[in-house]
Amino acid sequence: MSLSFSRAQHTCSTTRKLWQFPWGYPEAALFVASIILVGFMLQLTVGHFDIAILHYPANLIALAILAGLIALGTRFQNSLFMHWIAGIPVAITLTVALLLFGLYMELTPQLPRMPTQTPDLVSRLGFRMITASWPFVFLYTMTLIALGITTLKRLLRFSRRDITFLCNHLGLWVLLASAGFGAADMMRVVMHVGAGETEWRVFNQNEEALELPVAITLKKFTLEEYPPNLTIIDRQAPPAPQPDSKPQPKNKQEFFQIDPKRPKGRIGDWAITLDEYLHTAVRVGGEYRASPMPESTPAAKITVQNLLTGEIKTGWVSAGGNTPDLFFSDLSLDERYSFAMTQPEPRRYASDITIIPKEGESFDAILEVNKPVSVGDWMIYQYGYETALGKLSHWSEMELVYDPWLLPAKIGMFLMAAGSLLLAWNGAGRRRTNQ
Amino acid sequence: MSLSWNEFPCIALPAMLCWLSAGLLACRRPRSARSVYVVDALTITGIALSAVFIAAFWNALSRPPLRTMGETRLWYALFMILAGYITYRRWNYPWLLLLSAIVATVFTAINVLKPEIHSVALMPALQSFLFIPHVIIYIIAYAFFGVATLAAGVLFFRRRSGNGNDNGLLTFVDDLVHVGFGFLALGLLLGAVWAKEAWGHYWSWDPKETLAFITGAAYLVYIHLRHQGRKDNFVLWTLLVAFLLLLLCWFGTALLPRSSLHLYS
Ligand code: HEM
Repeated sequence: MSLSFSRAQHTCSTTRKLWQFPWGYPEAALFVASIILVGFMLQLTVGHFDIAILHYPANLIALAILAGLIALGTRFQNSLFMHWIAGIPVAITLTVALLLFGLYMELTPQLPRMPTQTPDLVSRLGFRMITASWPFVFLYTMTLIALGITTLKRLLRFSRRDITFLCNHLGLWVLLASAGFGAADMMRVVMHVGAGETEWRVFNQNEEALELPVAITLKKFTLEEYPPNLTIIDRQAPPAPQPDSKPQPKNKQEFFQIDPKRPKGRIGDWAITLDEYLHTAVRVGGEYRASPMPESTPAAKITVQNLLTGEIKTGWVSAGGNTPDLFFSDLSLDERYSFAMTQPEPRRYASDITIIPKEGESFDAILEVNKPVSVGDWMIYQYGYETALGKLSHWSEMELVYDPWLLPAKIGMFLMAAGSLLLAWNGAGRRRTNQ
Repeated sequence: MSLSWNEFPCIALPAMLCWLSAGLLACRRPRSARSVYVVDALTITGIALSAVFIAAFWNALSRPPLRTMGETRLWYALFMILAGYITYRRWNYPWLLLLSAIVATVFTAINVLKPEIHSVALMPALQSFLFIPHVIIYIIAYAFFGVATLAAGVLFFRRRSGNGNDNGLLTFVDDLVHVGFGFLALGLLLGAVWAKEAWGHYWSWDPKETLAFITGAAYLVYIHLRHQGRKDNFVLWTLLVAFLLLLLCWFGTALLPRSSLHLYS
């Protein structure tokens, strides 16, 4: 039915005048352009859109108003105006406008928060923080309205054949609404906890404390590392903060990943054989011995052979342990070049913690990257540690994220996932029979 | 079994030969029953070879080979030829098999000529069960969009040469775009779930996310234009623009001015 409507409009568009019903693309373009224009004018007069004004319960009220508008629009769905609002030309024009804003955002640097200085015109128009600019917010809201009316119309005369359409559009609407209005209530803070200590406050730049509804005790911080890489460095290169900052060959640095499963490799003209590898070792005389001491470092005994001259050398190479600029190598190739080891990269790091919510039972958890823990509407993430000390770090940082709108966002995503599966399964599907 | 880039040419060269000869044979007229079998046998051999390499390479790295451009090219070649072969079998478009064989060969050849040697370390943020489905589903989406773009190109030139207005072909492009979009949205949603686990929020307008949004929006324009019943060359052009944005999304993150959480190597 909507299809025949849009066809009709297509044929009419050659004879009808602008703003004469039924409306189509020209009206949609002018309409969207004027929304953007009004947005820019507002931006120039009142500055950025401050999402804080939508803080609960304002966002709930705004959402209710929006839903009311959509319901009202659907009530008059047979008017030509509502046909147009819930039609393809408006949908496409809005999509293209959002696409262009996204493209601008992609191609130019964006600021994380409002600049405090009196800014230049580009900033004042909101171009350095697109997602907080009035034109963008208007476009987003208008998309919610148009998408809402489109979806509700079909939902009201539900048909099994529309299931793909409904999953995608309703899901997108729910997701956009929860992400947009939920942004006002989102809170992200980083908490710094020393080993053996309990913390429930976070501090801002002015050292002001904010008390959170959870306290965290850090029982232990652990870190595991990958075996490091070997490389060839130029010892005559200007002193650098890291010994591996001048790896050779110069034009394309090469590394040999230590892996006892694959002991042979090559860098430049040198063939490498890994004879022995100790992940935690200390130097005793000219040798390395395995040792679990805190100050231990990775060490590797290697044999290298120059593929051009046939020269063979053997020796120990180690990483500098906790002092990155201190590395040791018995394996000088000549006056200038020698083998060196890079700092090992972390494989896994985790905080062994006790979480003590203000209300409810406290519990233990292991916090790891990619494995957050949730407490009510809060999620707790492993964030950082003292990188210079690595596994010896005596504190851990956790990010706490508050998002009470996560559940509806997840429902939206779930609906969209169902819609995507249906699309992937059916292709353009039933549209074919429609043509 | 474990294999590395050193052994790659020994597997890649026969695989490319299989794909290309299958593609050429499929397009040759007249077609005999035997040549149809040979096409199947060649394509499947090529697919099996590249699948075996990926499996053995994965084994050697002790992590999924999804991290560097070279590694994702392996998968793209595999899925491109798979998508081409499936659509060839289902809708009987032999030229599609040839075109996807050429694209898969180009991607494989790049890997033969310029493999990227790199470490096996996988940093903690990438250690998630969502890593593999997220990337692979995207690559499948890209493969479908790649095939759709090729088909749209063929349709465009057929129209220009006045070679009939093949509505069947356009419907076929629609199918490919809808399927591709389904996968794109799934990849995006899995990415959102993962971002919530790893970074604390499901959407943060990270450059890669922004680009994925742009790409998705461009394909939505096509989908909705077609829903309105438009058939002219304009819709074919939107498909080309969408694919260019997709390429930007795939290769461009490193070149763009904003730094991305998605850059790991
Ligand atoms: C995930 C995103 C989206 C997907 C996958 C999608 C997909 C589709 C599909 C497949 C159709 C044809 C459906 C059918 O008739 O069975 C359609 C129609 C439509 N879509 Fe979307 N769309 C999306 C987002 C949007 C957005 C953001 C808008 C509006 C701002 C929109 C507005 C429309 C309209 C107005 C129609 C025509 C409805 C009718 O004729 O009754 N869509 N969409």
